[in-house]
Amino acid sequence: MAKFTRRRLLCATAPLAAAAPLGAKIAIGGGDAAAAGHDHSTHRTTESHSDHARMGHAAMIGDGAPAVGGPNELDELLYPPPALPYKPGRVRPYTLVATDEEIEIAPGVFFPAWTYNGTVPGPVIRATEDDLLRVRFINRGSHPHTIHFHGIHPTNMDGVFEIVVPGDELTYEFPARPAGLHLYHCHSTPLKKHIHKGLYGAFIVDPKVPRAPARELVFVMNGYDTDGDGGNNFYTVNGRSFYYARYPIRVRKGELVRVYLANLTEFDLINSFHLHADFFRYQPTGTGDNWEYTDTVMQCQGQRGVLEVQFSNSGTFMFHAHQSEFTELGWMGYFQVEE
Amino acid sequence: MEAPTAVGGGVAWRLWALVPIVLLALAVAVVVSQGDRVVDLLGGTPPPADEFDVRRVEFREGEIRIEVRNPQRDDLTIASVTVDDAIVPFTLDGPATLGRLRTSTIVVPYAWVEDEPIAVGVTSSTGIETVEEIPAAVLTPQPSARGFFGYGLIGLLVGVVPVALGLLWLPSLRRADARWLAAFMALTAGLLTFLGIEALAEALELQAALPSALGGPGLVLLGVAASALGMTFLSARLSRGKTGMTGLALALLVAVGIGVHNLGEGLAIGTSFSTGELQLGAFLVIGFMVHNLTEGLGIAAPASGARVTVWQLIGLALIAGAPAILGTWLGGYAARGTL
Repeated sequence: MAKFTRRRLLCATAPLAAAAPLGAKIAIGGGDAAAAGHDHSTHRTTESHSDHARMGHAAMIGDGAPAVGGPNELDELLYPPPALPYKPGRVRPYTLVATDEEIEIAPGVFFPAWTYNGTVPGPVIRATEDDLLRVRFINRGSHPHTIHFHGIHPTNMDGVFEIVVPGDELTYEFPARPAGLHLYHCHSTPLKKHIHKGLYGAFIVDPKVPRAPARELVFVMNGYDTDGDGGNNFYTVNGRSFYYARYPIRVRKGELVRVYLANLTEFDLINSFHLHADFFRYQPTGTGDNWEYTDTVMQCQGQRGVLEVQFSNSGTFMFHAHQSEFTELGWMGYFQVEE
Repeated sequence: MEAPTAVGGGVAWRLWALVPIVLLALAVAVVVSQGDRVVDLLGGTPPPADEFDVRRVEFREGEIRIEVRNPQRDDLTIASVTVDDAIVPFTLDGPATLGRLRTSTIVVPYAWVEDEPIAVGVTSSTGIETVEEIPAAVLTPQPSARGFFGYGLIGLLVGVVPVALGLLWLPSLRRADARWLAAFMALTAGLLTFLGIEALAEALELQAALPSALGGPGLVLLGVAASALGMTFLSARLSRGKTGMTGLALALLVAVGIGVHNLGEGLAIGTSFSTGELQLGAFLVIGFMVHNLTEGLGIAAPASGARVTVWQLIGLALIAGAPAILGTWLGGYAARGTL
């Protein structure tokens, strides 16, 4: 538009020109573009049935889904280490190493991440309530980092004031409390940058009275702002967009499936989880007796909860954020439920 | 005795005059091959912008075609494509990794909605997203006999008709007083000066939108120089060594100049129709018609003193007006973002 000064000039004088009857004739004789714009009798539908296979959700399953890598590559993040029965005085040692990594988040799209142990999100940390958690943290990244755990612990173990500079290390040690699903993340400033770059993960504290045996899964919801404009370009669970659309998660009909769901999406106020064709029970923060029966939950940044589902049918069950935009930017997958 | 020495010295000096040029060429070659190292001495070179130049977005039945070009020196890789902020499957007609100024066409199967705004995004392997917003999705006209005729008709209306009408003033000019004739000649000179200044200003404004690799102001000045040289050459040919040009020759010269100008007008009109700015196109047509009537007068004025046949007049009208037809065809079918 702004390119043609002449055109702008004429646009300004257009009311005068419109008086000329010639104008109408020209518009009719204006070629194919004019016909497409005005001739509603030949209104075009822009798709046919055969096109549907190439478009939409039908194209976003299996090999059609644009996701990085082969099957089972995210198993370490999806399947948490097993819950251990309560035993007084037990130490749970972990080692987390902060590194700068170029990670592939969607096919051919690379993100300059800051990671714990090389992945975004970081590894799942799990302990039983009152286990002594001993996390050795080594900073091999290029910036100062910390680990801030959610939970109940001494403030000098909180990862806020004890900044670990590159090359340095620190061991966090505290009893794991309370039982529930928590988080850990870097608390260096600028906070937004340190979290968004990928320094976060799920922290499960199992109750002393164990939960019922189940097929357990961890979903950490996140996003990536790849062009630095303060808005996410890709959304995922466990770090790769559309990964579980390409490799659906296999479970059995009727078995208890427990999902530890946490939201670490930066920039957006909320994220959400919606399950298709069935309902689940949701326990906010994985604490207390307050279970909700629903198919959609919403979490703000840092919120998390435990959900349990027993599929009533077999088949392909979609799950995704119920923000359509997030869904279509990668936060979408399937459960493949077998008999 | 002195003369041969002077000539010999002249040759030597002429050769010596080449030395700086040869040395400059060598220096340039060194900088071209080692320039990066020189720049590196300064430190802190920013990363490439990694933005695509979206040259053309075509809407077909159930399909969007996006032509992109790499405007920067470093390679640029097409990694992900979005339509309205949703990741979509796509195929490439061309390479995924584009060298400097290389283009590729992205083909997206998509059920776009007619007449509604739409945005397409192309994300590089470094995660930078280039978004192109289209005000209204309209089926891109494909070449057809009807459309071809339509564009030709518009070109005829804008170019040939008003110039021919303007030429009809010739008999009146012949009978007019010498003072009036001088006044009309002055009008012609003024008109051409105005066109020249306006065209130059418009060209300079347009070049600002071009990728820097394509030239910039230098390109415009080169074009000006080329056309000035061309016109001078034509003028010399037409006057054939005589002291002045005949009236008809001058009229021909003016007609050629106006013809080149009308080619640009035709381009503007054709582009405006093909990009769906239909109303604007119709007003543009009317505006150009009124405006171009004076061009006919401009050609008629110098010819008024000479004997001119009807065929010569028709020829003049075609030389000045027919390029508009060529322009609408080019603008209508080859419309590019850079035109």
